[in-house]
Amino acid sequence: MNKYLLAAGTLLVLGTNAASAHITLEAQEAAVGSTYKAVLRVPHGCDGKATTAVRVQIPEGVIAVKPMPKPGWTLQTKKGKYENSYQLYGQAVTDGVKEVDWSGGSLPDEFYDEFVFRATLTADLPVGQKLYFPVVQECGDAAERWIEIPAAGQDEDALENPAPGIKLTPKK
Amino acid sequence: MAGTTTKLVGWIAGGLLAIAFIVMASTSQAFAHAALIKTDPADGAVLAQAPARFSLTFSEPVSPLVLTLVKPDGTPVPLTSFRLSDQTVEIDNSRALKSGTHVLSWRVISADGHPVGGSLLFSIGAPSEPPVVSEAVDWPQRSAIWIGKVFLYIGLFLGVGGAFALAWLAGDDRAGQRFVTAAILCGLVAAPLSLGFQGLDALGAPLSHLAQPVIWRTGLGTSFGWTVLIALIALGLGLLSLGGPRAAARPLALAGLAGLGIALVASGHASAAEPQWLTRPLVFVHDAGIAFWAGALVPLGLALKRQTVGAVAFLRRFSWTILPVVAVLAAAGVVLAIIQVQTPPALIGTAYGRLLLVKLALLVFLFTLAAVNRWKLTASAEAGSTEVQRRLTRSIGVELLIVLAIFGVAAGWRFTPPPRALAIAAAQPVSIHIHALQAMADLSITPGHAGPVAASMIIMTGDFGPLDAREVTLVLSKPDSGIEPLKRAATKPGDGSWRVDKLVIPVPGRWTVRLDILVSDFEMVKIEAPVDIRP
Repeated sequence: MNKYLLAAGTLLVLGTNAASAHITLEAQEAAVGSTYKAVLRVPHGCDGKATTAVRVQIPEGVIAVKPMPKPGWTLQTKKGKYENSYQLYGQAVTDGVKEVDWSGGSLPDEFYDEFVFRATLTADLPVGQKLYFPVVQECGDAAERWIEIPAAGQDEDALENPAPGIKLTPKK
Repeated sequence: MAGTTTKLVGWIAGGLLAIAFIVMASTSQAFAHAALIKTDPADGAVLAQAPARFSLTFSEPVSPLVLTLVKPDGTPVPLTSFRLSDQTVEIDNSRALKSGTHVLSWRVISADGHPVGGSLLFSIGAPSEPPVVSEAVDWPQRSAIWIGKVFLYIGLFLGVGGAFALAWLAGDDRAGQRFVTAAILCGLVAAPLSLGFQGLDALGAPLSHLAQPVIWRTGLGTSFGWTVLIALIALGLGLLSLGGPRAAARPLALAGLAGLGIALVASGHASAAEPQWLTRPLVFVHDAGIAFWAGALVPLGLALKRQTVGAVAFLRRFSWTILPVVAVLAAAGVVLAIIQVQTPPALIGTAYGRLLLVKLALLVFLFTLAAVNRWKLTASAEAGSTEVQRRLTRSIGVELLIVLAIFGVAAGWRFTPPPRALAIAAAQPVSIHIHALQAMADLSITPGHAGPVAASMIIMTGDFGPLDAREVTLVLSKPDSGIEPLKRAATKPGDGSWRVDKLVIPVPGRWTVRLDILVSDFEMVKIEAPVDIRP
C-alpha cells in the first residue's frame, strides 16, 4: 500500500514539476457569465534572470477587467475596441481593457509571486472549450512568451511555451 | 590564281577568327553541369489540390528539353507551356490532377552542352504507389555518342592534324596522304552523326528516333552544335589543303588547325570551367598541340617505313618542333586538369578523376615511347640507319594506338561531370518553401551539406503578403539522431530577410526545420517542413 502511495506521490510531484515550470492560472475552470478572479502564478524568471514585467493579453469575450495593483510594480492597462458588443448590467460595452501590464518590479528567479486581476467572462463564450490568456514575461532584455495556443487536435503538453488557460463551464 | 587563293584563305581565316571571338567571349557566367536546387512543389510533397504551376530552380540558367508529367496510372503527359525566368523554369499546369502520386520528369541542358535530367514526386490528396519512370541508362545511345566522338577526334586530330603535318612538315613527301584523307572523311561523317546523337541524348530519345527533324534541331541548338559546325569547317579546310593548289596548302592547313581548336573550345567541360579567359585559350592550345603531334604520326611513320626521299628531312623538322609543342600542350593539360579535379581525393573518388588517371597512365607510356624515339632513335634515323628507321616506324605505330586509346578515354568524359562541377553542386544551397495558413517562408541553407552553414529566410504571410515579424527563431531537429534540437534566434541584416549565421549541422540526412515567427507581442506562428541535408 505504502509503495503505491509512494509511486502515486512521485508521479504527482513529477507531473506538477513539469507544469509548474510554466506561468499558469490558479483556478483552471470558470463558468461563463461569471466573474473570474485570475491569479497568474509566476514560478521563475527567464533562464535564471529576474522577472521585471508581466504582461497579459485579455481575450475577446472577457470584459470589465480590473487588475490588482502590486507594491513595487507599475500597473498599466491598454484599452481598445472589442470585436463584439457585450451587455453588462443592461449597458452595451464595446471597448475596454485589452492588455494588463505590471512592470518596473523585480522578481528574482528563486522567488515566487502572483499577479491578480478580476474580469467578467461573458455568457457568449463557448462552453466546454478552453480560454487562453497569453502572457509575456520580461526579464530585462530577455523574455519568455507564454503565448502558444494549441491548434485543433494538438496536445497542449507538446507546446514549449503554452499560454495559461481555463476551461469554460456552463453558466450557473 | 594564286591571288584568288590567298584572298579566299584570308576570308576563311577572318571568318574563323570572328567565330573564335564569339565562342571565347559569348559566355561570361560560371557554367558547370546544372544542378537542381529547388522545386515547387517540393519533392515528396502532398498537396490538397493540383497546383496551377510547377517551378524548377537550377544552379544556373538552363533550357528545358523535355518536361513530362507522369500520372498515377503511368500515362505520361508532355508539359509544353513553360517560361524561363533567370534560373527558374516555370511550368503551367492547366489540368485538374486526380489524387495519387505524380512524377514530374525533367530534362534540361546547360551551357556546357550536356543534358541533365531528373524527376520529382508529389502527391495530390494522399500518396499512392508511384508510377514507374524509366531512368535507366540507354546504353546503345551512349555507345553511339561515344563512338561518334572518337571518330570525330580521329577526323580532327589525325585528319586535320595530319593535313597540317603534310603541309608544314613533310616537304614534298606525300606518304600518308590517303590515310589523312580517309581520317578527314571519317570525321566528316562522324561530325553530323554526333550532332544527331547529341539531339537524342538531349531529348532522352532512343536511337530509333534519329531520323526525326526535332532531334537534329535540338542537337544543333546545344553548344555542341557549334562544335560540330566549326569542326565541319575545319575538316573541309583540311581536305582543301590536301587537294587544293600547293600554294594554298599551308594557310589552309593552318586555318584548319585553328578551326579544330575553336571547335573543341565551343563545348565541353573544360572550356565551360571558370575562369574562361584562361580555360578557353588553354583548351585551344591543348587541342591544337595534340593535333600537331598526333597528326604527324601516321605521315611520318609511313614516310619512314617507305624510306621516301623526304623522310629524314620530315623527321628532322618534326623532332625540332615537337618539344616546345608538347611542353605547351602538357602544361595546358595540367592546368586544365587542376581546374577540373580541384582536390587529389577526387582523382579516385569520382568517375571523372578515374578516367583522368587512366589517361595519365596512357600518357606515361606515350611520353616514354616518344622520349625514346626522340632522344635515342631520331639521331641515328636521321643519320640514315634503316634498321633504326624500322624500329622508329614500329614505335610510332604503337604511339598511334595509345593516342587512339586516349581519344577513347577523352570521349568518355562526355558522360562524367568533373569534380569541379560536382563541388559546385554540393555547395549549392538547400532551399525549401514552407507554406502554412498563417505564414510562409522561403528558407535556404548554404551550403546545403552537413557542417558549418548559414540560413537565410524570407518570411511572408500565408497569402504572399509582407510579414514584419518581431522575432524569428530557427529550430532544426532530427529526432532519430538523438541530437537535441538546434535553436537559434535569427537576426535581421536589413534587406528584408532573416539570417542565422555560424550554424553547424552535425550530420546529413532528413532534418525537420521549424520557424517560430513572432508576429505580434502575443502571437507566435510556428511553421515546419522537412529538409534534406547532403553529406
